Amino acid sequence: MAKPKAKVNQTKCLACCGCISICPQDAVIWLAGKAYIIPEKCISCALCIRSCPVGAIAGEGYE
Amino acid sequence: MKYDTVIVGSGPAGSVTAYFAAKNGAKVLMCERRAEIGSPILCGEGISKQIDDFEMLKGNRRWIANNMDGAHVYSPDGTMVTLAAEKAGNETGYVVYRDIFDQSLAQKAAQAGTEIMMNTQVTGLLKEKGKIIGVKAKQFNKDIEIQADVVVGADGVDSKVGLWAGLPTTLKPYDLETCAQYTLTNVKVDRAYCEFYLGKQLAPGGYVWVFPKSDTVANVGIGILASLHEAGRAKQLLDQFIQARPHLKQGAPFRFLAGAVPVAMPIDSVADNLLLVGDAARHVDPITGGGLTTALQGGQCAGETIAQAVDQQQFDKDTLFVYETRWKELFLRKLKRNYMVKELFLDFDDKTINMLADSLKDYNFDEINTLGLVKALVSKHPTLLMKLKPLLKFSK
Repeated sequence: MAKPKAKVNQTKCLACCGCISICPQDAVIWLAGKAYIIPEKCISCALCIRSCPVGAIAGEGYE
Repeated sequence: MKYDTVIVGSGPAGSVTAYFAAKNGAKVLMCERRAEIGSPILCGEGISKQIDDFEMLKGNRRWIANNMDGAHVYSPDGTMVTLAAEKAGNETGYVVYRDIFDQSLAQKAAQAGTEIMMNTQVTGLLKEKGKIIGVKAKQFNKDIEIQADVVVGADGVDSKVGLWAGLPTTLKPYDLETCAQYTLTNVKVDRAYCEFYLGKQLAPGGYVWVFPKSDTVANVGIGILASLHEAGRAKQLLDQFIQARPHLKQGAPFRFLAGAVPVAMPIDSVADNLLLVGDAARHVDPITGGGLTTALQGGQCAGETIAQAVDQQQFDKDTLFVYETRWKELFLRKLKRNYMVKELFLDFDDKTINMLADSLKDYNFDEINTLGLVKALVSKHPTLLMKLKPLLKFSK
């Protein structure tokens, strides 16, 4: 099974940009006022999930 | 489109860089990805009174919400230490309206000749034979290219400009504070003092702040070190803090925000044809997370350096390095010392913090300096000497 990719819940995201700052793969970008994770670049390290202040990022298998 | 410099980001660091570059003769463009400068607000809105001396902020001061006398710092057991405003670091002095503050600076930049583009997201560097010659951007849905001799990354904690130029902007979890904040109305606060609450349970690797904007309105926020954070924890702990305090619990929020603050050592801020300012350069006090004062100081150094480079028509790293030399003279020592204090503090458990607060509660903070502080602590707690010793080299 492929590794789960982190995904931003766009409704919950407040665009604090913490996940963009911390991603070691430059996989998170600012897109139209929200964070967006490029699936092809995500290595499933979960740093963004853990650091989100409002819990707006999830990935299957992480919860 | 060809400019002397293109500035990516219109926060305080960007606008101040733009102002000093334009005022000294450079042709300047500032790009902002959002539709309004200063909005949404991503800030605790505290700033030191040091900014009274800053040229760009003289005159109309309607960005000031509240003028404070000092700070109350609370240890986990509730022991209170009071700091006068001039000793309490970057956050104490004024509480500001950051949207008006940012817009005032941007207007000054525009009056000095800066062009401003809104809804313009810079998406990459424009290069010719490996040399940076400008930026690629998306303006609304249109792809555009902007040529410039110097690209300025004023693009905040999540700087991509630095990353594209090979500067080490990615933050480690122990160098990032994860934040959440309510602006509450109908609370009861003492507007003369901001408050800081410390404690491993309360805010792991960070603190809770209460910044009064009036007697009944306050920013109540929390910062947690990302390495000690779990998904959603900042908001949960902030909600708990407010619920446990009747004078805050009675309030109603009219703003909620999440934020990210670098609490890192500053990084290399200059490359050929490119420099970084503000949060992008990690010009933030690692203890308090305050970055406004350093953004203004650094921005002035950057803008003036760019104008000189334009006069000389030389934009290599060595020429732009004047900027790095100047900001290092102004605040490198302080950032380094406070990074060390941040690391020391992470080792302290709540018991130690209570003990420290108890030793300091009657201390005369009008005479504070690093040496005096270390002496006062060690005289009461000799075992602390080994831990605090590294700080002494910053005492002169």
